Amino acid sequence: MAMTAVARETVFALRRQIAKIEGTLPERLAAATSDADVNTDLTIVRRGIAAALPDAFLPIGVERLDAALSGGLPKAALSEIHGTQTRDAGAVAGFALSLTSLILKQAPGLPVLWIGTTEIFREAGFPYARGLRASFGIGPEQLLFSEAPRLVDALWVAEEAARMTALAAVILEIRGNPQRLDLTATRRLHARAQGAGRPVFLLRQAAEPEPTAAPLRLIVASAPAAPRDTIAGPLAGSIGRPAFTLTIGKSRTALPGQFTLEWNPDERAFDERASGERGGEERQRAKNSVPVVSLSGRGKDPAAAPGAVLAFPAVGSPAAISPTARDQPSRPQRAAHLGPRRAG
Amino acid sequence: MISHRDRNAQRISALDERAEALHLKRDMGIADARAMHPSIDVVEADPEADRRLLEGLADWCDRYTPLVALDGADGLFLDVTGCTHLFGGERAMLDDILSRFFHQGFDVRAGLAATPGAAWAAARFAGDRIVPCGEEEALLAPLPLAALRIEPATRASLESVGLRTAGAVMAAPRAPLARRFGALLLLRLDQALGRLDEAVSPRLPVAPLSVERHLAEPVTLTEDIERLVGMLAATLKTDLERRGEGARTLALLLFRVDGAVSRIAIGTSRPMREPRLIQRLFHERLAALEQDIDAGYGFDLVRLSVLTSAAFDMQQADLAGEVIDDGADIALFADRIRARLGEGAVLQPVTVESHLPERAVVTIPFTEAPRRTTPPKKPDRLQAPKTIFPPERPIRLFRSPEPIDVPATEMPEGPPLNFRWRRALYRVTRAEGPERIAAEWWREVPSDEAASTRDYFRIEDADGRRYWLYRQGLYGGGSQVPPRWFLHGVFA
Repeated sequence: MAMTAVARETVFALRRQIAKIEGTLPERLAAATSDADVNTDLTIVRRGIAAALPDAFLPIGVERLDAALSGGLPKAALSEIHGTQTRDAGAVAGFALSLTSLILKQAPGLPVLWIGTTEIFREAGFPYARGLRASFGIGPEQLLFSEAPRLVDALWVAEEAARMTALAAVILEIRGNPQRLDLTATRRLHARAQGAGRPVFLLRQAAEPEPTAAPLRLIVASAPAAPRDTIAGPLAGSIGRPAFTLTIGKSRTALPGQFTLEWNPDERAFDERASGERGGEERQRAKNSVPVVSLSGRGKDPAAAPGAVLAFPAVGSPAAISPTARDQPSRPQRAAHLGPRRAG
Repeated sequence: MISHRDRNAQRISALDERAEALHLKRDMGIADARAMHPSIDVVEADPEADRRLLEGLADWCDRYTPLVALDGADGLFLDVTGCTHLFGGERAMLDDILSRFFHQGFDVRAGLAATPGAAWAAARFAGDRIVPCGEEEALLAPLPLAALRIEPATRASLESVGLRTAGAVMAAPRAPLARRFGALLLLRLDQALGRLDEAVSPRLPVAPLSVERHLAEPVTLTEDIERLVGMLAATLKTDLERRGEGARTLALLLFRVDGAVSRIAIGTSRPMREPRLIQRLFHERLAALEQDIDAGYGFDLVRLSVLTSAAFDMQQADLAGEVIDDGADIALFADRIRARLGEGAVLQPVTVESHLPERAVVTIPFTEAPRRTTPPKKPDRLQAPKTIFPPERPIRLFRSPEPIDVPATEMPEGPPLNFRWRRALYRVTRAEGPERIAAEWWREVPSDEAASTRDYFRIEDADGRRYWLYRQGLYGGGSQVPPRWFLHGVFA
């Protein structure tokens, strides 16, 4: 015990020095040394421009993660969101947009600026406004894109945008580890974000972690989605809500940890998913009285099923017909020459 | 000496004084000229470059008047009506033009008269003359017929009947002249004498407002230019206020001492008149163009013009004297980005009614103009099912769908079991679909309807990444083209 106390004293002394170098005063660095509760007292509350505001942190809505990040995502700061491979671009962008969606819940109507280099938009795809509205509730009128052929230009746009209070959030997407995106560049972005009180998300696709000024680095990968939830239970073989595996890569306050989060596009909120546990979804279903998928024609669905009645394939079939199939014309409307339809 | 090709023979099209001293003439064959003087230096004519040079000179002449027109391949018309007093009178202005051109290395001849025709004749045949109003006839009378700007064929036939000077033509009876030589001759004559108006159509649209500053000492530094822009914009502001307008397009013209003119234009998202903001926009533009603008020996004239303007809405400030307008911030931000990086640097998406995913969203340059609002939701039955099951759309879409290799599907119409994209193999664990999207028959008639039909699948690979694939074409649909697979987007 004494050993750990001494070790922690050293750690706190070092942190105090770091805080002094950074020009922020730690509020309670050594407060936790007295008692033995190791887990809860490892958090430090910073006092700076960001932390001085009462709502300096954006709660992500997942208790364990919020506790680990000492309150949530810093609102007036640069946050790095990493993907280890370009093919993770969907998950990385999706996670950043979920966070943006949470911010927009508090500041509705403000536009979001997404800056990217031509390279990343070519490699990972251009943001698709229809999908963003459906999944994150960000309307096309709230979206602004800036595509810069060179990294220098993208950084310049980001710096100019980071100091604007008229934007809800700035997303800067960069691929790889360019030399120009160094400590100085990120420090400038961070300082402007702090000044404006708006978050800047630095999405780094296919990048190795390297020292930057961002106080927080999250590494995001996609996680297998849970099946779609129906009244009759999970629909086997279907792909439900987006899920992410989140690793805290760097944080001044948090211990490294890994979380699996599920984004609920309807409520625009995160749920944590423990592996192999379905309890959360049970609760979720009880909370949502509106059925996610109406019953098939055999059921006693109070609402008359509109349009075509759909039969689900046998449980376990790899290619389940999704509810999206309902948007297709029903059987009589289909032209005969288009061949047989593969419905259950 | 410059040659050009005319009817399969190289002929002299222009020559300098030394060549003239050798008794060489225009339209002489190059072969003859070489036979006379083997050492002459012949350069192929480049009409395109001549044209560019003339246009550059026309730009430079903008400093005298906004109404500058090109005249053929070797002349410029300057409509200096109401401009001469700015340069100290007609003679002073002509001298200024001639001396500046001389210092730029051009040998020019100029004439100034009340009509374009008389000025044309004065410049070409009388040499640096100012023709007072009413003396056009006296000027033209002794000049050869070429001074009347008529076709060579007409000129030849006039000469064949003994009319060798313009004066002779003027003295001849009009009716027979018109009957025999056409109406153009009399038209030219009347225009030259001022009996008929002749409009000089300017090369560039005349800016509704422009302010300029002549500098005794040429400026070279970008900071100085920016400061000048601020000062000019302050002058412009009063004019714009008087008109109740703001500028939408502004152009900055920098006249270099040696005759080159740089034209820098910026556009704004909303009407603007604040000098500080205008200066900032030009700051970005100048920073972006730093490499392209060569100050050389400096600029001696700086002009700021409003090319297009629009009504400026005044805004009521609140009691504290503050106007809260986030839109203005964003408009200015977008303008600055665009001033530096080009028109397409800030984009906004607009949704379009279309089934085809790539056509359903278009991105347009950001404007503050009233945005295209989506039509109000139709309360019809078609909308109802969509609200329950909106079709899942990816969050990122590839600009062009990327072809993938699909080695096997479980059944012909079903989703793939695995696929190869960008040389990596992906194993499909789950799939949803298909969602069939057909080509838009109202836009174009597909040559093969079955081949352009797409079946979209939403799939998840072994690592949990979700993709949007489609198969273009149908199996056994009677189509000659085998179905192909593409990856179109990624999901969160």
